[in-house]
Amino acid sequence: MSAIVITVDGDRLPARAGMTVAAALIAADRPELRRSPRAGTPRGVHCGMGHCFECLVTIDGTPDRRACLVEVSDGMTVETSR
Amino acid sequence: MNSSTLSFAGKASTGHSHAPSKDPGVEPFSCDVCVVGAGAAGLSAAHAAAACGTSVVVLDAFPRPGGQYYMQPPAAPLASAKAMRQVTDGAALIAEAERAGARILPGREVWGVFPGGGQPERGTSAAAPSDAGGFTLHADGDGGAVRVTARAIVVATGAHDRVVPFPGWTLPGVMPPGAGQRLAKLSGTPPGRRTLIAGSGAFLLPVASSILKAGGEIAAIFEADNRVLAAAGIVARNPSIWGELARLARPLFRAEFEVHRGAVVVAALGDDRVRAARLAPLDTSGTPDLAQTFEIDDIDALLVGYGFRPHVELTDALGCTHDFDEAAGGWICRAAPDTFATTVAGVFAAGETTGIAGSRPALLSGRIAGLAAAESLGFGDTSGERRYLVERRRRPAAFAAALATHFTPPAGLAAAITNDTVMCRCEDVTAGEVRAALADGADDAFGAKLWSRAGMGLCQGRVCGFGLARLIAAERGIDPEEVGFNTPRLPLRPVKLSTMQAALKE
Repeated sequence: MSAIVITVDGDRLPARAGMTVAAALIAADRPELRRSPRAGTPRGVHCGMGHCFECLVTIDGTPDRRACLVEVSDGMTVETSR
Repeated sequence: MNSSTLSFAGKASTGHSHAPSKDPGVEPFSCDVCVVGAGAAGLSAAHAAAACGTSVVVLDAFPRPGGQYYMQPPAAPLASAKAMRQVTDGAALIAEAERAGARILPGREVWGVFPGGGQPERGTSAAAPSDAGGFTLHADGDGGAVRVTARAIVVATGAHDRVVPFPGWTLPGVMPPGAGQRLAKLSGTPPGRRTLIAGSGAFLLPVASSILKAGGEIAAIFEADNRVLAAAGIVARNPSIWGELARLARPLFRAEFEVHRGAVVVAALGDDRVRAARLAPLDTSGTPDLAQTFEIDDIDALLVGYGFRPHVELTDALGCTHDFDEAAGGWICRAAPDTFATTVAGVFAAGETTGIAGSRPALLSGRIAGLAAAESLGFGDTSGERRYLVERRRRPAAFAAALATHFTPPAGLAAAITNDTVMCRCEDVTAGEVRAALADGADDAFGAKLWSRAGMGLCQGRVCGFGLARLIAAERGIDPEEVGFNTPRLPLRPVKLSTMQAALKE
């Protein structure tokens, strides 16, 4: 488990190689990832296994990536839409 | 007939990359048996079919094979001997399947399946076996887009948490237990600093243990079922699980967390994230008594779930018959006990897809399905071994079934669903809107979807389907079975139009 650094909404955060982006965000106490489409309510990780699409974030410039499926890598850039 | 026909048109990357390819090239594969899902049942099926001499391709949505029980954590510390054993047993299953010749392609989610050699007939949205036989599966993901033509399919897509909406369940920090388990086991991260676990099922205890080992704190567990003695009777009659149960209960005796019974979560409280939970005791009809609520505060994670539901999208898209069995997870794919053949020729189903039973029955049903699939293609007579496996599966399956009857979701849960409770998270559809649709004339799951858009979003009702059925059944005074379920639409998972175009054109 090597320590790495990712950038989330401009902030540099520590993470461990191999953990998911969702886990890195939760470990950094950033549970809110986006707002719901109609009511605009805060949303975070829900199913944690790729089928609910609640945890969509932009990763290294690619939008609509599921944070619960993608593993972090050193220097990764994550943008939430909170 | 008895010759293997695995062909690879190019070198597939079986690893995972961090960004999807910009080039929507679709890699073609052709095989005898395509197994969907690389968990206990899928790996076991792949190994069995490949050992019979068939060519096997395994597709799995996750970056690494193993499924939920045999999850292969890349980073999390393995905190116990049991966790270590699950991982090493899983690694051995993966290695065995590959050694037998199965080609495992992780990072590929199946988004479409069609009968025959590949091209959908105009106007068909679901597959049925064509005269030519065989199927074409389309999958995409970080592993890269693939198109797999197969003579037979084994669907071993597993299950997901069974949830019932309650006010506040969309707040960040509210998740089903399975999400907490994946965070803790896969990434070594607890779902929060202090987690409250509630709902029903034997799964709640191992989730609490995983969270403790990942460094999290457990506020408490609230198990809805309060028939302690009957559950104890089932356990007493099954000595083979005593060891595991003693291990899971150890934190209880060390007072690392408390298990309370007979109450359910009726609301998650917080502004921009969960900060507390409101609970209510269940009355004798299984309805939460909203006049006697109490709160648990100082939490930042709330895990609530009532067992699991099988993933039946693929078997449904393939036209297989499904039956309703609430204790076994709701809608389950019908499969013959001695072959795990579905009602569609060439399609087999194994593991939780055919009813929630846990890892041991899944390993055995996977093996039966793999052998039967190979035999159906002319690769020998496997009936003797299958008879033996069916016999071996009987006890663990009966145990799972007996336990499951204890953990069916309380009958009156829908009473806690207020009109402003979000039912469909994808489309932000509230219970009030669903109730209005019912008042307007919608009378089942399909009607509610057409009227209100509930279940029409990206998850296609995987998350809200069970809760919606409960709400509609409660409002109309009918059985959840009568509510039905919504047939998934292709693509089963979102896929780029360019990828779809490339996949269907080639």
